[in-house]
Amino acid sequence: MRVTLKTIVLFLLLALVSATLSANSAHAANKSYKRTVEKYTIPDIVLVNQDGKKVRLQSLFTGDTPVIVDFIYGTCTTICPVLSAGFVNLQGKLAVTGQKVRLVSITIDPENDTPKIMKEYLKRYRAKPGWDFLTGSRTDIDSVMRAFNAYIPDKMSHYPLNMIRNPKDGSWVRLFGIMSSREFLEEYQSVVGK
Amino acid sequence: MNLSYPTLKTPLLMIELFTLLFFLSATSLFAAAPPPPNLPQGEIMRLGERMYREGVLPSGAPMPAFIRGDVEVDSTAFSCSSCHLRAGLGSFEGGVITPPTTGNKLYKPYIRPPSLGVIADRDGRDVYAKTVLERPPYNRETLATALRFGTDPTGHSFNDVMPRYPLADNDMSILINYLELLSKEPSPGASKDEFRFATIITDDVSQEDRQALLRPLQQFIAQKNQQLGMYNDFIKFGYTPTAEMKYAFRRASLDIWELKGPPTTWQKQLAAYNNNKPVFAVLGGISNSDWRPIHDFCEAERLPCLFPITDFPVISETGWYTYYFNKGFAQEGEAVARYLNRMENLSADTPIIQIVQDSPAGRALAAGFDKNWNEVGRPAVTTITLTASQLVDPAALAKILTKHKPGVLLFWTEAGLLQNLPALIARLPATEMVFVSSSYLGRQTANIAENIRNKVFITFPYRLNPYVGTKTGGFDAKIPILTGAKDFGDRRIASRTTAMLQQATLQGLNMIYDNLYRDHLFDVMSMQMDLVMRDYERFSFGPGQRYVSKGCYIIQLGPGENPTLLPRSEWVVQ
Repeated sequence: MRVTLKTIVLFLLLALVSATLSANSAHAANKSYKRTVEKYTIPDIVLVNQDGKKVRLQSLFTGDTPVIVDFIYGTCTTICPVLSAGFVNLQGKLAVTGQKVRLVSITIDPENDTPKIMKEYLKRYRAKPGWDFLTGSRTDIDSVMRAFNAYIPDKMSHYPLNMIRNPKDGSWVRLFGIMSSREFLEEYQSVVGK
Repeated sequence: MNLSYPTLKTPLLMIELFTLLFFLSATSLFAAAPPPPNLPQGEIMRLGERMYREGVLPSGAPMPAFIRGDVEVDSTAFSCSSCHLRAGLGSFEGGVITPPTTGNKLYKPYIRPPSLGVIADRDGRDVYAKTVLERPPYNRETLATALRFGTDPTGHSFNDVMPRYPLADNDMSILINYLELLSKEPSPGASKDEFRFATIITDDVSQEDRQALLRPLQQFIAQKNQQLGMYNDFIKFGYTPTAEMKYAFRRASLDIWELKGPPTTWQKQLAAYNNNKPVFAVLGGISNSDWRPIHDFCEAERLPCLFPITDFPVISETGWYTYYFNKGFAQEGEAVARYLNRMENLSADTPIIQIVQDSPAGRALAAGFDKNWNEVGRPAVTTITLTASQLVDPAALAKILTKHKPGVLLFWTEAGLLQNLPALIARLPATEMVFVSSSYLGRQTANIAENIRNKVFITFPYRLNPYVGTKTGGFDAKIPILTGAKDFGDRRIASRTTAMLQQATLQGLNMIYDNLYRDHLFDVMSMQMDLVMRDYERFSFGPGQRYVSKGCYIIQLGPGENPTLLPRSEWVVQ
């Protein structure tokens, strides 16, 4: 047991340090992800959330709360779990500071991702309210992917992408690649102006 | 701000130096080899498998893990096997190459194959995340360091998606021991020269259906053996085979496992066949009864069973070793639940009645509806189960309708009911909708009376789109598939078996190369891209997904003796 605790404490310290180092170097030069600012036209479609409720997509992208969108699927390996871990970490950090965010995951496997599967997925990641997972017809999902310049013909060839909507002007910060939770939080703060 | 910069920077550098020293001392602390666990091998496999597949420590607590330095993850949400997959041979998805993690591979040097080089796609994105070009073999010490700190024996850091695991020595030791044993020996029924397969046929199958199954299967085996002959000639004439060719050609054989008598005796019969001459996988198969005894046998033996022809698959979220075309009758019931749930103008208090023939098919259709209706949060509907003779008694049926006054009526019955259907519908309110199953009604579906066709909605789990490819191009686009009333009742045994062999299965067998593990076959098959099929609109895969066709149309019939099939829903309704 002593070994376990020692191991974990040392590991956490190292993780913290390596995060400091990587955040520093990211500021200094290369980030491991690509950042651009984009304008997107969101199609007027209705999708279905994890509770089986219909959701008009455009209605999610209004108001003063920043919105973050990603594309994942329920049985994905590799990158979706990492994106979702990023979401849940961000939710936790913003809950501490009392800042708002709306998280929207859109499935790229609409045939398999039923509300039940999506609900279980969110539960598995201990998602809090404010993180919705949406499915719909293949045609509608294709149109959303195209709108975000993120169309892929097959879910097996997807890539890590987060998009943060700036509520002030409706622009989107497009983040291509996998971010540390610190980088993700910084990108959020840059959008809300802190 | 500029003035304060150096004062801020100095402590930061100090911290970094301090932590660097700390890191080095910690690394040396952990460099000690974890002692071998003092446990029987079976227990190591059980505990290690739980860590690897479920992310649960031997203590029962979740395995802690970190990604990208500071993103904490819970390993029960995604585990080692999520990416390295069950057989531990790794995966490729979303541009991320996950390398093998078995002792066989880790304790040997790695050299990246040229096919996984740095290649950019049309948009300039790397097709693959950059992986290390080569590395020396791991040993237990360097493997423990890799798992804890994400560095290989040369100190090269892993891709950010690989979590780092702060494991205690004993836990680390169990996990490493498990990895050493994982996929250590090839599975039974496969060798570098041969694949042995079997197919399963139960004694309730007609001679005609049996032949429809066996013809494509035996043709597939003959083709594989013929190709091997051609390959051997190719070598004989001095040509050099590619790496893929070396693994694509093996002798193949097919045994027929005939199951006779009551289903309770099937597992014993299967065990006798399998013990006598084990096979690598079961290719197809056919039964008119519940597939469960065979499903359970394959689960227990960890024996892959690929796409049997059955209307009664086991509906399970955790079943692993059988790939099904779809959920059979249950999928049609499910499609009706989804369709009704999405209807804008169906009032919540509309009475829905299921009239179910007391038969396996009737019960499977009703169960599929009930399960899905419950999942979308709807209250249970009234279900009335009747015998075949009760179902052809108009007075008995009229009494039920008068009592329940259904707004939606689901008739999960055989075709005997159809002659009374117009009279029954005439007794109901004008808004009445009736749902029936084309698989259960069979050929007679086309004989639904013309004057009630606007009221009757039919489940149809096959393709309607006439073009397999795009209409304007592509190899498959030239011959439209004209699905019509003639296709009702066709079980498509030969065409479905041919397609599953030539597309999904062949691809899986070719992609395992020399990694002859049953689990690996399933791992690579589950990572396949979608397939467009002749009988179904689409096959889609994914880790753990075992019903590859997810769709079922709700259709109505057009007028005439050979009516057009009119889709009233999408292939998949969400």
